[in-house]
Amino acid sequence: MFALRELLGSKLKFGLIALAIGLVVSLTMVTSAMSEGLLTGMSGAKSSLAADGLVFQRDTYPTLERSIITADDLATIASTPGVRSAYGVGHTFASVGSTDEAFDIRVFGLGDRADQLPIVEGTGDLGPDEAIADVTAKLEGIEIGDTVTLTPVDAELTVVGFTEHRRYVMVPTFFVSLPTWEKLHVASVLGRVKDEGGVDAAAAAQMEAEFSGSASIAAIDLEDGVTLADVQAEFGDRYTVATPVEAARGGNGMPEMILAVSGIQVASIVIGALLVGVFFYITTLHKTTQIAAVKAIGASNSYLYLELIIQITLLVAIATVLGTVLALGAGAGMPPMMAFDPDPGRWAIAVLAVFGTAYLGSLFSLRSILKTDPATALGRTEL
Amino acid sequence: MFEVRNITKTYGSGRTQVTALDDVSFTLDRGRLLAVLGPSGSGKTTLVSIIAGLLQPTSGEIVIGGQPVHLRSAAEAARFRRKEVGLVFQDHHLVPYLTARDNLLLVPHLSGRVSRADRDRADGLLADFGLAERATHKPGVLSGGERQRVAIARALMNVPEIMLVDEPTASLDTERGLQVVELLKQQIHERGMTCIMVTHDPRMAEHADEELRLLDGRVVV
Repeated sequence: MFALRELLGSKLKFGLIALAIGLVVSLTMVTSAMSEGLLTGMSGAKSSLAADGLVFQRDTYPTLERSIITADDLATIASTPGVRSAYGVGHTFASVGSTDEAFDIRVFGLGDRADQLPIVEGTGDLGPDEAIADVTAKLEGIEIGDTVTLTPVDAELTVVGFTEHRRYVMVPTFFVSLPTWEKLHVASVLGRVKDEGGVDAAAAAQMEAEFSGSASIAAIDLEDGVTLADVQAEFGDRYTVATPVEAARGGNGMPEMILAVSGIQVASIVIGALLVGVFFYITTLHKTTQIAAVKAIGASNSYLYLELIIQITLLVAIATVLGTVLALGAGAGMPPMMAFDPDPGRWAIAVLAVFGTAYLGSLFSLRSILKTDPATALGRTEL
Repeated sequence: MFEVRNITKTYGSGRTQVTALDDVSFTLDRGRLLAVLGPSGSGKTTLVSIIAGLLQPTSGEIVIGGQPVHLRSAAEAARFRRKEVGLVFQDHHLVPYLTARDNLLLVPHLSGRVSRADRDRADGLLADFGLAERATHKPGVLSGGERQRVAIARALMNVPEIMLVDEPTASLDTERGLQVVELLKQQIHERGMTCIMVTHDPRMAEHADEELRLLDGRVVV
């Protein structure tokens, strides 16, 4: 009751500190959403693959671009003890040249598991030479029904649907069936070899035959009670297996990026904690005489600390609401290409961290409360 | 009956030892107002601090109703003040963000619960002190005399065994000071409480029932 009265009695003072803490909360949330956005943008197509594990060719983990799983490999992986099912996932580079300016994309071939994609527009059924594109392709002017020309392979794909959160290395991913991917991939490889003037029709046919039924990696589901470590033991050093999220976060430059963004988040939370701690410490120091008087008329240390905790809780709660509104506003105002992907779970952790560190900061004030001698209220200066 | 038995308080040791109170004893009946007089440094505030449980005496004891008061911890002392003591400070020390009424209700709030009876008692005290119209005002808009009256009313909220009043008229002019002392005396008599008032002003002491003079920590007869 009296904790609230003090807040209401100094609205400007406490309002300003709530705003300051709110800005810190907002900064924490925005950096969290941007880090999620960066992670999704860099590796969303890989991290969200529906599988218990991704299997890479030996010595290529976690580089999807270098891995090749042949048809025989895929059969071997599928029949490995502990593996319930497996499907191939293909990857290749391409550029789309059908619009005014060409833009890079990544092409993912998805065995028979295109149904795992969340469709936000159009259809999820993939036919030959059809693609479901990440919705960020719209920013390049792509619409449902557009037929795009891929360079340098000079192939065409018709966009039949849009999915979301499926970018890779910050460019839109186009999901196609595995046979379509194989055609594009082989054409891409042959195109480069032909450019070097070193392949003839017979050699090309042999290469196409070798690529038949292959993929870049295999996505596997495990039988009940089986772990990835069990399967890795079965694979020996022939393949490397990891969860989709591990594989995504282990990609080139990703650990460094995650570390940098986490550092910003931790710094924000520490600043918020210091802000709360120092503010309440100074406030406590300013009212030492009042605390001494209230202690003199019978207030216990626990009563005074509880009042302080109530004030901190109210203030941080108000700051959290303020910070959330500011963060959502900042997200809404960002251009579509900005990586901003709010995650309620991570936001909740950020808020809990601010609360936790604020309570930690209150220990400065507790020390001050404990040290305040109630006898000073009587002006004991006669000695 | 309230009794102070052979209270001595010393600070430091050896050659730096200072004796603030030296074997001070007196008794006070219920319904009596005792004025403690003495120059600065005579030990008046130390005496009040010991009676309030804010300081531990080096030797001697306080006896209330025949029972010696032994306070073994800060928490026990705080509980003693909440239940048995009413304190009025020289500078009123009202909580600035609370209304006059809430300043009174702070006392039961410290004990964990504010009942309807507490609210009625606060309203009654404010009315007795001529402050009914000022109940919803904060200390910042009250006059010096009104603030001191609120402080006295607050000290009466817990129906204390002993009231300790430290220089209640120091920040008031003579006329308002006398009004406050008269009001205090009237309340003490009506409620049958024991009250010790520290003052350096002999004119205020004249209105007390009894006087105790201190000099260098000793009672002067």
